[in-house]
Amino acid sequence: MQWDRRAFIKLAVGGVLGVHASPLMWKLMDDSTIWTQNWSWVPVPEDGAVAFANVVNPQTGTGAKARLVQGRVDGTRAIRVEGNPEHPLSKGGVVPQDASALQLLYNTDIRVTAPLLRDRATGRYSKLSWPEALDILAGNLAEVSKQGKPEAIMALGHDPESATGQLLLSLMAALGSPNLAFTPNAGETLALAGLAMMGQTDLGFDLANSDYVISFGTPLLENFGAPVATRKAFASWRGFPKNSGFLAQIESRASVTASQADMWLACRPGTEGALALAMCTIMIQEGLYDQAAVNASFGFKDEGDFKGFKSFLLKNYRREQVAQMAGVPLEKLVKLTLGFAKAKKAVAVCGPGNSSDPGRMYDFMAVLALNALKGNIGKPGGVLVQDPLPLKSIGSTSLRGNVRPLVDPAQGLDSNNPDALAKAAVAGKPYGIKTLLLVGGNFVFNGPQAGVMEELARKTPFVVAMTPYLDESASVADLVLPTTHWLEGWGDSTSPYGSPVACYGLHRPLIKAVPQAKDAGEVLLQVASRLGGKIAAALPYKNMEEVLTARTQAMGDFEQLAEQSFWVQAKPAYGPVKFQTPTGRFEFFSMGLFKLLSGRAGNPQNLERLVAMMGVSGGLEAAFLPHWEAPAAADDLGTGMPLLLTAVPSLRTTWGGDAITPYMVKVLPDTMLADMDKLVVEMNPQTAHELHLYDGDLIRIDSVAGSLTAKLSLFAGAAPGVVYAPVGLGHGAFGFQVEGKGMNFNRAAKVTTDPMSGLPVWELTAVSVEKVQG
Amino acid sequence: MVIDLDKCTGCGACSVACMSENNIGVLHNETDKIRSITWMRVYQIDNGKAFPDTEVAFIPRPCMHCQGGKSGTPGQAFFQEGPMDEAAHPPCVSVCPATATDYDEDTGIVSQIPTRCIGCRYCVAACPYHARYFNWYDVPWPKGSPRALSPFVSPRMRGVVEKCTFCFQRYQAARNKAMVSGGEVGEMDYQTACTEACPSGAITFGQLQNPEHKVHKLISSDYTFRLLERLHTNPKVYYMSKREWVRKMADNYVTRHNKFAQAAAQSGH
Repeated sequence: MQWDRRAFIKLAVGGVLGVHASPLMWKLMDDSTIWTQNWSWVPVPEDGAVAFANVVNPQTGTGAKARLVQGRVDGTRAIRVEGNPEHPLSKGGVVPQDASALQLLYNTDIRVTAPLLRDRATGRYSKLSWPEALDILAGNLAEVSKQGKPEAIMALGHDPESATGQLLLSLMAALGSPNLAFTPNAGETLALAGLAMMGQTDLGFDLANSDYVISFGTPLLENFGAPVATRKAFASWRGFPKNSGFLAQIESRASVTASQADMWLACRPGTEGALALAMCTIMIQEGLYDQAAVNASFGFKDEGDFKGFKSFLLKNYRREQVAQMAGVPLEKLVKLTLGFAKAKKAVAVCGPGNSSDPGRMYDFMAVLALNALKGNIGKPGGVLVQDPLPLKSIGSTSLRGNVRPLVDPAQGLDSNNPDALAKAAVAGKPYGIKTLLLVGGNFVFNGPQAGVMEELARKTPFVVAMTPYLDESASVADLVLPTTHWLEGWGDSTSPYGSPVACYGLHRPLIKAVPQAKDAGEVLLQVASRLGGKIAAALPYKNMEEVLTARTQAMGDFEQLAEQSFWVQAKPAYGPVKFQTPTGRFEFFSMGLFKLLSGRAGNPQNLERLVAMMGVSGGLEAAFLPHWEAPAAADDLGTGMPLLLTAVPSLRTTWGGDAITPYMVKVLPDTMLADMDKLVVEMNPQTAHELHLYDGDLIRIDSVAGSLTAKLSLFAGAAPGVVYAPVGLGHGAFGFQVEGKGMNFNRAAKVTTDPMSGLPVWELTAVSVEKVQG
Repeated sequence: MVIDLDKCTGCGACSVACMSENNIGVLHNETDKIRSITWMRVYQIDNGKAFPDTEVAFIPRPCMHCQGGKSGTPGQAFFQEGPMDEAAHPPCVSVCPATATDYDEDTGIVSQIPTRCIGCRYCVAACPYHARYFNWYDVPWPKGSPRALSPFVSPRMRGVVEKCTFCFQRYQAARNKAMVSGGEVGEMDYQTACTEACPSGAITFGQLQNPEHKVHKLISSDYTFRLLERLHTNPKVYYMSKREWVRKMADNYVTRHNKFAQAAAQSGH
């Protein structure tokens, strides 16, 4: 056959027809379709049997269930954290931090997977084995102690009531250092106010059974106690078709709580406590207080040398005067007070500030006084005293020793002030420190004054961070020890702020995401055992399971408790409250405080000096009575800092515990984070107009502590003269989904000390604002 | 579904619970809300008044699972109707060239089958509620994070559209269970992830037509409304609020007296 044009065409056409007749082409097309859908970068989660395990999130107090999938290849893994309908307080709900907890657990980019030693010069980490790491840590502690200066060891922990916190306290007591502080919280302020006026520390608000609730500046629906439990109470007031409860919010911004409230009393920031006192005045003047409760109390009327609460109020907190000072309409204030006084089950609530700070003690005392006038203490829907948690002590309960702490304890009632400790250590006054233990809490980010904490870590020769994550604290530590996430290790948590009943939460290892991680408590136990002698004897446990078994022995069978994951007081303690005050009565004039400070001062002249030194305004007359102190930031306003900076609380952000999660970042609205991860701050349009600023301008906010750069968002619900910024953003760690989103509020917040409680406060900071670009 | 806006505190739990239930990823930049995928998105509105009379409220917005408009009596236009006639389609279903989305007559759920989707985004444009999202990017799953993914929902690939399915996988599981036990799917057997998660119990889920279910009672209240009702999409998500300004913001404020008249006017009667 000859190869001519015809033959070629025949072969080509024949070939094409032949290929089409064969399945080859269809097979290839099919394969390519399958191939294009076989996306190796789209994960294929493994299927398996589903199981549920109870757990309590120690960060939020939510009773939850972990949904576990038992895969044949991948093993058991948690796929969701859901609500636990059997938990008596949270009844099945969750908040974003619970629902997205797995994002921090399962992310090897942000978890500490092995003990790490950092070279300060290069900043590079090298991996260690656990025995090596523990030897380094124990060696350092032994050396510092041997030099006769155990106080040069400082420790910062997260939750003082948890088993880990208690072990840290025992370790520091055994080492002989008094320099220990924990993440400050409003529970401590409430305990101090309760101790001063009622001789009781474990107070709670019976919100669910109340029909008239007034919240004094605390973000009830954004960041208060166990957020799910608070919402369940709120939902119970929103009946259908009629509301069964009345909620009033007193604060400066149209927040979620203010908007969902039946009445919003917009006041100047920081004046909430004064309004509580003005309401007391109105109730007294109108004769609408509970006569029986007041007659049974101490310090209402003048007694001997002491001026009573009544005459003190009538003289100093006249309704017109306070209403004008706070910038609220008098008639609205009176209406609110009359409603409160006449309601069947009314309660006034105090709590953490919008910035999550522990609040001011005199404000809390004013709110307790208002509740006492209403006569709701120990009654349904009022202020309750929780039963004590049946927990056994697992070690030392106090740091009492001969060594002088960095911060003079006479400065306030509570020595838990990480900020004051850090400032003293940075200044080296009265002495410097050599070793810093950071046990959770990520202080270098959370602060409260983050810049000070970072300086402290950089100045201290040896810094140890025990953390599940490669967080900001880990990035400045010399030794980083991997600890467990709450879903993979043993641990516990106690009653959330303001809970009407005592509750306890336990978590146990459900899965293992990081095999090398140890419970923080277990690390402390092993360090103690390496140090030997008295220190090992003070912490005589093998592991956290043993610690928790010992701690909870009064709660029944441990295995059952661990499976159930919570213990909750059966019913609220209604009935007459046993006031453990010096007079045995409710004290409007705190005899307990008077005796304590008199003891410290020695004689009456010194007492006056001591009170002045603590920074209590109003002198001796006011020091032992609920009264109002102008916020410290008010004094700074004149110094070229014309505006106030405060926080926008939200359940989509966090402060103090675990960091914000990627899903929480994802659901942040444009009014918090916008335009390629810029922080957004709110300002009243009128204030912006006066400063020649427009919506969307990029501004710099400067305080004495630091500065923030943010996009300006004009919001009519913001009080004039105040800048509102979200908290908990601007991480320098936690992976690309969280890192660099916004800026850290606690870099700009100025932290001061509350004069009476001695706790750090940072609700308000004086700032100046400047336009960067528009 | 009925969402009580007076109970909603805008905490975002519904949104986050939805993401963890449905394997939704997180991109590098989530401030670009047009490309950020949130099946359940919580919008914030305010009453526009100056300080101190300002008030804010939140509107959680899942897919509305529209049944589509239908000419009929005003009463029907407001509540549930019988089977669709030819003129009635959910806006997204009628434009899909690939039959990747469909309306299920039995459940009233508008489905979405990502593997069938060709990525033309007609449905995204057609949806008046912005409830549909296009996967512009592959999800950059951080190392180790796929361990938290649910095996009951397939993670989607780049180039397809996705949206809220009323947690259809939960319906399937409940239906299977009911089949095995020989019973029916009860009200509490099938609840969406957002309903379960909501800490204030603002979301109620059930069959709108079943008089035994809570939602059936709730939608007959004077405080109930739907979003963009005048578009005749006939959504299956109802909202309720005792606050007048919130109801007015829904763009179809209807008082008790003109409720039926207005509905009739909208249907061209």
